[in-house]
Formats: sequence, C-alpha cells, structure tokens
Amino acid sequence: MRIVIAEDDPLLREGLALLLRAESLDVVATAGTPAEFLTALDAHRPDVAILDVRMPPTHTDEGIVAAIEARRRRPDLAILVLSAYVEQTFATELLTGGVTHLGYLLKERVGRVEEFLDALHRVVAGGTAIDPEVVAQLFTRTRHDVRLERLSPRERDVLALMAEGLGNAAIAERLCVTHGAVHKHIRNIFAKLDLAPTDHVDRRVAAVLRYLEDVRHRV
Amino acid sequence: MPAQRDEAADGRAAGRRGSGESGESGGENAGTRNTVVRATGAAISAIEQLAGGLGTALLAFVVLMWLAVTAVLSLAGVGLLMVPAVLRALHGLADRERGRLSRWGPEVIGPGPAPTGLRLALTDPTTRRELRWLTAHASRGLFLGLSGVALPFLALRDVTFPLWWSLTPEGVTATSVGIGGIAYTWGDAVPVALLGLGWVAIIFGLTPAMARVQARPGRRLLAAGPEADLSLRVAQLTATRAAALDAHATELRRIERALHDGTQNRLVTVTVLLGAARRMVARDLPPASGPAGPHAAEELLERAQRAAEQALAELRTVARGIVPPVLADRGLAGALTGLAASCPVPCRIDVDAPERCAASVEATAYFVVAETLTNIAKHSNADKAAVSVVSRGGWLHLHVTDDGRGGADESGGSGLSGIRRRVAAHDGTLHLASPPGGPTTLEVRLPCGS
Repeated sequence: MRIVIAEDDPLLREGLALLLRAESLDVVATAGTPAEFLTALDAHRPDVAILDVRMPPTHTDEGIVAAIEARRRRPDLAILVLSAYVEQTFATELLTGGVTHLGYLLKERVGRVEEFLDALHRVVAGGTAIDPEVVAQLFTRTRHDVRLERLSPRERDVLALMAEGLGNAAIAERLCVTHGAVHKHIRNIFAKLDLAPTDHVDRRVAAVLRYLEDVRHRV
Repeated sequence: MPAQRDEAADGRAAGRRGSGESGESGGENAGTRNTVVRATGAAISAIEQLAGGLGTALLAFVVLMWLAVTAVLSLAGVGLLMVPAVLRALHGLADRERGRLSRWGPEVIGPGPAPTGLRLALTDPTTRRELRWLTAHASRGLFLGLSGVALPFLALRDVTFPLWWSLTPEGVTATSVGIGGIAYTWGDAVPVALLGLGWVAIIFGLTPAMARVQARPGRRLLAAGPEADLSLRVAQLTATRAAALDAHATELRRIERALHDGTQNRLVTVTVLLGAARRMVARDLPPASGPAGPHAAEELLERAQRAAEQALAELRTVARGIVPPVLADRGLAGALTGLAASCPVPCRIDVDAPERCAASVEATAYFVVAETLTNIAKHSNADKAAVSVVSRGGWLHLHVTDDGRGGADESGGSGLSGIRRRVAAHDGTLHLASPPGGPTTLEVRLPCGS
C-alpha cells in the first residue's frame, strides 16, 4: 500500500509517517501544502492519500478542495480525510463525489491505531470510513425523515454502522449480536427504505446514500 | 511630540503614564531633561494647533463678512438669493473645523446635514450654533491663531536681536512691538533680547492654554447639541459597533485557529505517538524480540511527552494572547516594563500614554511588543532595542526598533503575520522597515477606542 500524507503541521506529519511505517506500510511521500500534495500525487502514484482539512494558505478547507481535485485526476485514488472537528458541509462536499474509496475521520481517531488501520484498509479496498460523530450528525439532521421514522432504534444503529463503512461481521461484533441478527436487521432496513432486492445497485450503499442524499438537499 | 524617558527604578512606572528602562540607564538630570522635552513638545503641538485654527479662522472671517453683506442685501431683497450659498459655505466650514478638531483630540461629531433654505435655517438649532461658533472663531479664534503663529517669529527675532541689529540700516531696527523705540546702542539691544526671552516664556507657558481656548467654541458648539436629530449619530455608532464586533470576531477566529491548528495538533500528535508506542509494546512483549523494541517505544514515548509539553506551552501562549494578566494589574506601562526586563536584548521602553485605551487595544499593543521583542531576541542578533508607545489624538502609536542585522521577512514564518492580523483586527496599520544589515523598525498605529 503506497501512502501519501498531506498535513501542514510538521510534528503531526512526522508522527503519522512514523506510525504508519512502524506498521510496515509504505509512506512514499509527505506534503505540507495542497500544491505539494498534488505534485506528490502525480510523482508517486499512491494508492491512498491521507489529507488534513485545514492547510495553508487560509487554513479553512484546502484539504477538501485538494481531495476533490485529486479525485478528479485519479478517480480510483482512495482518500482518507482527517479533520480537527466535524463539519457537516465538508463531509457533504466530499460525499458528493461518491462514497467509495472514501474516509472522513476526526484526527484523534488515529491514536486508536487498530481502528485507524482498519479504516485505512477499508478505504483502500474501496469501502467507506465515516467518523461515528459525522454519522451521528447526519442522523440528527435527518430525524424528521419519514422513512427513517419507520426504522426501529436497533435498525438505526445498524444503519449508522453501515454508514461508517463497517461490514456485517464488524457490525455484529460492535453491537454484540449474532451475524444472523444483523442480517435480519439489514433486510428490514432495505424493506422499510423501499430498496427492492432485484435492484442492480448495491443496496448497502444505496441505503446509506439515500440518507446522505437527503442531507445534501437540506444543506 | 512628547517623547519621554524615565527610569524604571524611579517608581513612577506603575502610574497612569510611566516608562521603564532596562540595560544602560540615563543620567541624574533625566528628570529635568524630561520636563524640558515635554514642555517643548507641548508648545510645538500647541503652535501647530493654533496655526491650523488660524486657517479656519481666516475662512470664518471671510464667511462672516459674506454673511453680513448677505444680511444687509437681504433687507433690499436681492440678498435672499445668496442665502443658500452662504449657508452651504457655513456648513462646509463647520465640517472642516469638526474634522480638524477631531484630529487633535476627541472626535467632534456633528449633528448631521443642516438645511440651506432660509426659513428652515432660521429655526434650525444646528445652524444657530454654527453661527455662534462662526463669530467666536472669526474674532477670538483669529486673534489667538495670529498670536500663536507670530510668537515664534517674535521670539526668534528678538532673542537674536543683539547678533544682527548693528548690521541693519540706521533707524530701521527696532523691537518687535516698539518697546524702547529704535535701537542705537548695545544698551538698547540687550533689553530687546530679554524681551525675546519673554516671548519664549509665553510660548512655553501660554500657548497650550491658547490652543485650548481657540478650540473651545468649536468643541462646544459644533458637536451635536442636546436638541439635535441624533439619527445620523446612531447610524455612525451602529457602523463603529459593527466594526468593533468584526474586530472581536476576527480575534475569536484567531484564537480558534491557534487552538485547532496549534494545540489540538500537538495533542493529536501525542495520541498518535502513544498509539504507536502501545502497538510497539504489545508486539514486543511475548517473545521479547531484542532490546530494540522497548528502546524504540521509549523513544516514541519521549517524543509524545515533548509534544504534550509543547501543547502546554502553546496553550499558555494562547491564553496569554487573549488577555495578558499583567496588563490588568499594572497597565500598559507596567506590563511593557516587565517585558523589557525579561528580554535578553537590552531594551529601553518609553511609554507616554496618559489616556487609557480600550482593554483589547492595550492587549494588542502588549502582544505586538511581546512578539516583536521575541523576534528581536531570536533572529535579529541586536545589541539593543527600543520601544516607544505614545497615545495622542485617539491613536496609540507603537514604535519598536533594534540595531540588529535586519532582513525580517513576513513570509519567513516569524510572528509577523500574526502581529499584522491582530493589528488589522483593530483597524490599525502596521509598517515594517527591515533592510538587510538593519536596522529594523516596526511602526504600528492602533485606534484607542475600538
């Protein structure tokens, strides 16, 4: 796995690189500005980019802009965005480009190394890793959605974990239930959200997307 | 311009105005020199004001004459056509005087546009007040202005009289006001010189009071009276309040940024390093794969600890940047003296700030000086530095200079951009001159009231 890190704080950048290298991952380049990052992207052809949201010159959303530009240049590039705080619009902007190969995590999650690496691998494999806090915000915003109200609390928990990008096994483990129970919940969610099993689309993604879509319209 | 110099040791530094000095100290007669410097500054400033007042007083005289002619002609009817023009001239002049007075002291805020029609003007309180000011300024103001401008010439002429009276054609030389008549001998010339000294005494003793007297009618009559329509004033206050809130918001944004991009990043670094160290320890525990494992983890922990310490230091800086505690306790003079004392480069501090500024402005001034002195100590290689702080006419002027190697660059990641942001938040201006080889001079102007 070839990794590029874009983070303007030198200490944190080195810390991240050190952590990933200690896990025998291949950090091919580090960048302190969006411009450096895009150069490194072309030069090193990484599999995944880890990006800070706030970078020079204005320290607002340069990371998001760079991520969108990177996606444009390399649609298959996995992107993991690290943010100092949860910002709904940032998440929405990112997700507009599709939820695959995408992660959006709070910075401090990196300290929980196993979960962070798990998220990283998931994103590289084409999945999604959305911070639980982001998901919580999404659900707060969509609380008045009629379809959501049909879901039982347990089903809502399952959908939240799906939105974070977890697979069935991981959801079962997180909720301390059996694999079969999770399967049943998911089937109920699909039914209540009117997602027919004959659809060609991935219904998991569709279920999550339906909510993100809804949020996007409200923003 | 007042420019004071005091010793921190003389105990006056804690007062409303004070100054301090660390490093080399001045002589014993600093007190006398101080008084002389201050009196000279006050006299020069007063004469400048009187001269400025003379300008508007001459115009006031012209407008007054015009007004008189208009009044007389109005009796015959034709003058009525001139009324709007002369009223416009009156309002224009009054506005000009408001602007001039505002530059020399507290702002004089007018009551807003006044009518130029005859009937309205006759009942308009603003116009009546402006007319009263016009007569006062065209008479007393004119006289004071002429005197103020003449005094320095008289003083110069009479004090130097003994040096040149004998060179002038016979029968021409005389004292400035004719005392002693025409000078024929040294005996006549010396009293003239004494008279010149008298003029000097008057300049030092009386001009500040003259300037105040000259400005008084304008300050009293040109400001909005109690009966004036205050809607314009309200609009103005709304605008300034919005600006103040803007400054406040910018300030909060700066703090937010310092916390998110500085302190929080440090703490994230701590968790990242701790996470890495834990993984390392967990991996190495069972088989104990040689001494490299614990050693590497120990190094990570050491780095984590250093990052935590940096987070603390940054947090301290942020907190102090919000309001330096010392500022509330000891005022700007005391706080800056403390700064100079802790600066490794010998630093002289002159503070002449009799009018206390808004707390946020003083905090910014303190921050600017603190950051600049830190920069000087870190980068300039200077032997000495000097800081002067003067408050005058509603502005706080900061002047920081050092004799270091210069070449300070805002893009170089020093605190300069932070200083600029903070000054801008208060609508202040910043000017930096730092040619390679030095010296470096930083000038900052901050409005006192925002």
